[in-house]
Amino acid sequence: MIQVHNLVKKYGSHRAVDDLSFAVGKGELFGLLGPNGAGKTTTISVLATLLPGDGGSASIGGFDVADQSDDVRRLIGIVPQEIALYPDLNARDNLNFWGRLYGLKGAALVSRVDELLEMADLTAQAGQKVDGYSGGMKRRLNLAVGLVHAPEVLFLDEPTVGIDAHARSKILTLIGDLAAGGLTVIYTTHYLEEAEQLCDRIGVIDQGRLVALGDKEDLIRQIGDEDCIRFQLAEDRIATLEAASSRWQGFIKIGRHKGKVEIRAADGASILPELQGWFAGQGLVIEQLEIDRPNLEALYLNLTGHGLREKVSE
Amino acid sequence: MRFIAILRKDLKRMVGDRRAFAVNLLLPLLLTAIMGASFGGGFFGKGGISAIPVALVAADLPPMLRDRLAEGLEESGFFDVTWADSLDADRMVRQGEAAAAVVLPPDAGLRFLDGADISVAVWKDPASPLKAGIVEQVLTRGLVRYQAGEAAYLALWPDDDWSAAGSTEEFSFQEFLSGDFADVWRRWRRADTDPVLAETRARITRVMDRQVALSDALSSQVVVVDAQDQAQAAGAGEADDLNLYNVFLPGFAVFFLMFSVAAGARDLHREKVRGTLQRQLMGPVKPVQILLGKWGSAALQGMFMLTVLFLLGATLFQVNLGPDPWSLLVIIILTNTATAGLFLLLALVTPNEKTMDNLSTVIILVFALLGGTFVPIDAMPAWMQGVGQVALNYWANLGFTNVVAKNIPLAEATLPVVVLGWTTLVLMAANIFIFRFRLRRGGLG
Repeated sequence: MIQVHNLVKKYGSHRAVDDLSFAVGKGELFGLLGPNGAGKTTTISVLATLLPGDGGSASIGGFDVADQSDDVRRLIGIVPQEIALYPDLNARDNLNFWGRLYGLKGAALVSRVDELLEMADLTAQAGQKVDGYSGGMKRRLNLAVGLVHAPEVLFLDEPTVGIDAHARSKILTLIGDLAAGGLTVIYTTHYLEEAEQLCDRIGVIDQGRLVALGDKEDLIRQIGDEDCIRFQLAEDRIATLEAASSRWQGFIKIGRHKGKVEIRAADGASILPELQGWFAGQGLVIEQLEIDRPNLEALYLNLTGHGLREKVSE
Repeated sequence: MRFIAILRKDLKRMVGDRRAFAVNLLLPLLLTAIMGASFGGGFFGKGGISAIPVALVAADLPPMLRDRLAEGLEESGFFDVTWADSLDADRMVRQGEAAAAVVLPPDAGLRFLDGADISVAVWKDPASPLKAGIVEQVLTRGLVRYQAGEAAYLALWPDDDWSAAGSTEEFSFQEFLSGDFADVWRRWRRADTDPVLAETRARITRVMDRQVALSDALSSQVVVVDAQDQAQAAGAGEADDLNLYNVFLPGFAVFFLMFSVAAGARDLHREKVRGTLQRQLMGPVKPVQILLGKWGSAALQGMFMLTVLFLLGATLFQVNLGPDPWSLLVIIILTNTATAGLFLLLALVTPNEKTMDNLSTVIILVFALLGGTFVPIDAMPAWMQGVGQVALNYWANLGFTNVVAKNIPLAEATLPVVVLGWTTLVLMAANIFIFRFRLRRGGLG
């Protein structure tokens, strides 16, 4: 559905998008993961025909984004990072306006607006000015506006920025439902847990370049798949534990990390019963137990040398 | 059409902002009311503003000249003249009975005939600075016209400039005309037998004939135009009183219109910051449709504002709505299309809302000073009228002055219509070019 080949976008001498290539299949939910300033929004802007590219090519539904922008615009819906709504209008008026802009009118417009208000759980507040909405309500309406003309491809640019966990969960559920309905989605985020939770495939982007691409398991495999178990234990007991744990199935190594004991194993879940048995045998109780599975944060750190929450200097 | 959707949305937003809307209507009305009231204007059927009381002191002016002077001042409609001696005039000004006193020197009549310098004093009532200022302004303009007449006379008949060359007359004009009427008459009769007096009398006769001929030549066109205006005003059944609200209301309405339209055009910056502009650009809408929608909504809002203002002005202050319904409407429409074009251009060439805000305020204030908001165009000096033509509101004010204050049909005063129409076209062409250019450069992304 979406093909991107060696795409380049420059601002002066700075290459905001640098030789980017990827493809997204029909009905796929594709994540672009990277910190602020990595080039995600610029990529979306070029694909959505807002900005001209400086090299390479991209097509959506077979239409070139540079030469057939009118056709591309009919196929795509966009949910920008900003709350791109009119705060002095109510939700219904906002949806009506965007609907009319896409050529909807009459009963079709009324019906589509009602449907979207229902989907965004805003029917009861449809007559209130958007200015008075909570962050979550605005985000849901922002999403609904992107869907007003029933696009085939939806670009979601950091759609959960600045909202609380509950509101975020609601938005993610909505997006999951949309993807399940067959919509092709490109989802940019710097929240790895969102990418992990939602996306079929993820492209990891840093300084305009794609540094990794694949499904979640593929990507994690790149940094190994060790689980890590951490807990509190007195110093004089560590040698005894080391001797015992070396015989456990899947044990890899034992060490210390920030004042805690850390056991690395191929499968943390299979080690846990052995560990509990050892503690019981010693007459001890396990305190402050943590189990870390390999994740994208670790992958990102491994690939780029900096964390996802850090803004990349341009 | 998609631009209709944009226009509809923006109008809905503007109307929704009731506070701004009310301010845009109330402020011009309030200022007009204050200005009008300061000239003695009233409300509801008392739109005619009373003439400014002026005391005139000219001790020895011959009766014929006194009458001409008083008539000239009163015909303007601005002044209610009272003749007084200097003591009375001083008292009248101090007690507020007269806004100002115009004091001619005791020998003004003779100095006039002699071609000598005449110093005219204006005593102003400090409690009525505006009215007194108008007296001074009108007097100054009148004297400039008088001096121009003198210059024209001397250019035509340089031999008569005996005051500059030094009088060679054995019997001067001043001596001939001194004393009372009987003294002058006796000298006039004696001239039949006295060759010196005869020479002076002949000279006086020649000078007076030439003055009258020149005066007729210079004033004939002005008289014709004034007479037509009076006839049309009377024919249309307008109030005989001068209604300065006809001047103030359009001036202030256009002034506040510029602020209102600037705010509408400034919304382009807000849409960019909010991301709604980019969102529209990523939809199936042409850039020119977005621009036309923004321009149209700003212009329509202004048209509604001006229409309501004129209707309220007609009700409250008896403002004249012109000789026919179309003249005023056309000027209202063109004023708004051109103003919206101007401020949209400003929105497109400024980098952000704050810069545009500052720049538009400066432009509006300069335009207001040059374009006839605070001083009626007719009362502005010639050089300022020339400079003022660069201001958009000059042409709007000129159009409104023709239609509202002078009751001239649009067909007879088309210049403002032509200028405003062309300005709209040129500005919109520039706007479309700049918008497209910025889009190609990614400047709106």
